[in-house]
Amino acid sequence: MKSGRNQPLTLQELAAEAGLPARTVRFYIARGLVPGPAGAGRGAAYGSEHLARLRVIRRLQAKGLMLAEIARALGGGKPEADLPEPSAWWSYPVANDVVVWVRAGQSPWRTRQVRAALEQMASRLAGSTEQEEEEEDGNR
Amino acid sequence: MATASVATRFVPVAAQTGAEIQLAMQRLWLTGRVLAAGARLFVHHTFRSGEQKPLEVVYAFGLPRDAALRRFRVAGEGFSVHSELKPVEEAVRAYEAGIEEGRLATLARQYGDGLVNLTLGNLRPGETVTVVLEVVAGVEVHDDGFRFRFPFTLAPGYHRQARAAAVAPGAGEIELPEDEFGDLILPRFAADASGLHEVGFDLRLWMPQGIQEIGSPSHGLRVVQEEAGHGRVLLAAGREVPDRDLVLDARARDGLAGVLSGLDREGRGRFWAVVPSKSFGERADGPRQVVFVLDRSGSMHGKPIEQARKALEACLGALAATDRFGLVAFDDRVEAFRPALLEATMESREQARQFLEGVDARGGTELAAGILEAARMLGGEGGDILVLTDGQVYGTEGIIEQARSTGARIHCLGIGSASQDRFLALLARETGGVSRFLTPRERVDLPAVDLFASIGRPVAAGVEVKLEGIPGGQIAPQPPKAVFAGTPLIVFGDSDGAAKGRLLLEWESGQLAAPLEIGPGKLGETLRLLQGARLITDLESRVPGGEGRGAAGRRQEQRLDKRLEVLSQAYGLASRRMALVAVIERAGDRPGELPETRVVPVGMPQDTEFASYFPGPPPVGAVAACLRRAAPLVLPAAQWSLRPLEAAAIEFEVGPADLLLELAAKIEPDGGMPGEDEEERVQAAILALLCLLAEGHTERRGVFRSHVARLMAFLETATHVHPVVGEIIALARQGGCLKGDWTRRPAGPGLWAELEEALRES
Repeated sequence: MKSGRNQPLTLQELAAEAGLPARTVRFYIARGLVPGPAGAGRGAAYGSEHLARLRVIRRLQAKGLMLAEIARALGGGKPEADLPEPSAWWSYPVANDVVVWVRAGQSPWRTRQVRAALEQMASRLAGSTEQEEEEEDGNR
Repeated sequence: MATASVATRFVPVAAQTGAEIQLAMQRLWLTGRVLAAGARLFVHHTFRSGEQKPLEVVYAFGLPRDAALRRFRVAGEGFSVHSELKPVEEAVRAYEAGIEEGRLATLARQYGDGLVNLTLGNLRPGETVTVVLEVVAGVEVHDDGFRFRFPFTLAPGYHRQARAAAVAPGAGEIELPEDEFGDLILPRFAADASGLHEVGFDLRLWMPQGIQEIGSPSHGLRVVQEEAGHGRVLLAAGREVPDRDLVLDARARDGLAGVLSGLDREGRGRFWAVVPSKSFGERADGPRQVVFVLDRSGSMHGKPIEQARKALEACLGALAATDRFGLVAFDDRVEAFRPALLEATMESREQARQFLEGVDARGGTELAAGILEAARMLGGEGGDILVLTDGQVYGTEGIIEQARSTGARIHCLGIGSASQDRFLALLARETGGVSRFLTPRERVDLPAVDLFASIGRPVAAGVEVKLEGIPGGQIAPQPPKAVFAGTPLIVFGDSDGAAKGRLLLEWESGQLAAPLEIGPGKLGETLRLLQGARLITDLESRVPGGEGRGAAGRRQEQRLDKRLEVLSQAYGLASRRMALVAVIERAGDRPGELPETRVVPVGMPQDTEFASYFPGPPPVGAVAACLRRAAPLVLPAAQWSLRPLEAAAIEFEVGPADLLLELAAKIEPDGGMPGEDEEERVQAAILALLCLLAEGHTERRGVFRSHVARLMAFLETATHVHPVVGEIIALARQGGCLKGDWTRRPAGPGLWAELEEALRES
């Protein structure tokens, strides 16, 4: 452990100073709660501002705030990109020539309702050609 | 296995650019072998980075029941390396040192509640790495076969100190207290699992008795019957989304009975013996004391609570006048129907039914409080508690600890598509009860009545198990002291080598000796691992929770930790004290580079409403982000492949079982049916009995066996009403039944003649 506050720290040293596992510190950096290091590779260094930020996070956590709330409280935080939600829309090909787009992230009951409607639509469009019916069965 | 190495792509592609939408973990595939003694599983995780930076990917999952991690193999271009088992601190140090050196490092570490973080660090841009994790797991064993469950998703759970919130539309996060769960990282819970990694399985089942039937209430199966007793089970749909557990049922031809054995690597004999409950004879009917505990927490909302209510109503119908009962509903508060146990009179059961009608799902899951209240009602006089819950709680070790201290026997009926099977199995076993679990696609009421018929009256109590003529023979873990109808007695043990001897069972009212042959087969190593996983799971359930841990608690924890470490090392299995780690040096590793963390999201369990854990509007920032993304879209930007369209809702057909449940719930405390006078009550009882017999339920067999027994006992006292009564009792005793449909036949003066006519015809 280094005593001088102005000495640059490695990630492991920063974690030890803050009393956190290194993995947790990386997790915070990825979430935009803590800035990344100055420099890259072997030269990557962390300083007192990183340590101070980690202590603020701990304090806010002790107050009952979640990481998502802390990110907002600290101004910024990364945009919500790590959930695979590339588009707010899903496409459902209900027939060979028909695709229906549905907004993603709806409540489960609404999703069920929409899917039920889609199913009905799909079976109507399929008419009675056996091949398509088989395809539908195979999907269940 | 061939299927696992075929890396089918399941990657969404943006329509306009053709660029892939990135999933850090793309695929989870389950292979391995499942026996009645337990399963040896290989979980194939395919990680791939499509990003510009190296990644550190964290995948969180819950262990199945009686499970432990054995090892993993990390494979990529030009390498394939096995993990090492190390004490947690050492494993973390090795992992961190590997990360700092720019190497590919993998760590599998277990936390409380059987939660595991599998972390893969320094996955390079464009690199694909497979981690094959070997898991040893138990199954739920019945007299006639077994039920196997594997978690494809993680259910969110309740914890008093947990914080939960929706952080983006359809995405929720839960954070658990650090003093109890350390640096565990939980995944994001996605309301819609269809954009997540694909899951699937290709499993082999083996039953030396021969397989009668293989089925699944959770997934469409393709079953390939191989040589006698062997079956291969594949996912019919090819792939699925992670929004529910895999559940497999296997029934043995002529039931499970006998011994699996073999020599382990060191030449020690290992065996697993199963003694069906039927071997212990009939149970004596005596008065029972039972408290029903109903989980009314928010996650039970909808179908689960409805089903549980129905199940309880039918159980109330199986109570005799000599029984005493209590009824407790809990969420974050405990509400008892009455403060003390009640005689099961018609009036009290009717009031209990009315109380149930008002029970709706809401609030958190303070399971321990519900159990403690039930135990208080039993007043230390012994008795049974039947818990109906989805078990979606964290901090289960603390609950088990409190439950154990009550001295009451706890039986569990787990409900849900991702219920905490590991926890509920432990809770029942540690208190001497039995547990069953069901998926939302199955009826809850019938199994509840079935389970209820067996509890309170074990077929054997005070069971002692000994070995005879087995050199160096030892039994571990200790088998349960009580055996209940439908659930066999399981005995794990080892010996100096191959041997021929006997298994001696003694209980309060009988004894039994069964031949025990420990053969030289290859199954020994698997049995050794299964036994180890059982012992580790049992010990882990005794590690006290974080809440209110005093100095004495910490000392006890240290003692248990030490024992856990010894056990882990002896069996070569990971535990809360021992983790698995592998560090791989690749050409061109760049030291000091900071990998970016990606946590693999999981789908909400199919039947759990997102809003029950993550209520309220999404944060303002997230909504704005969503609008920015969504608003300019005239043509959608992403093209997804055809997804299976799920059935909209799971509806149960009204069948004979519903009618029987209705009848069962009406049975009065003396065993008769409601009516204006004695004659009408007797006639109604006969009609109810005939309906039950027609569906194959007898005094000893079938879900409604205790209802049949009670109707018969009532009719015994009513033979003076009409000669037909005695004849029908005699017929029922012989396992016979009257021809005709008696389901909707009303009682009345003409019925006696009709019954006489039918008796002549039979």
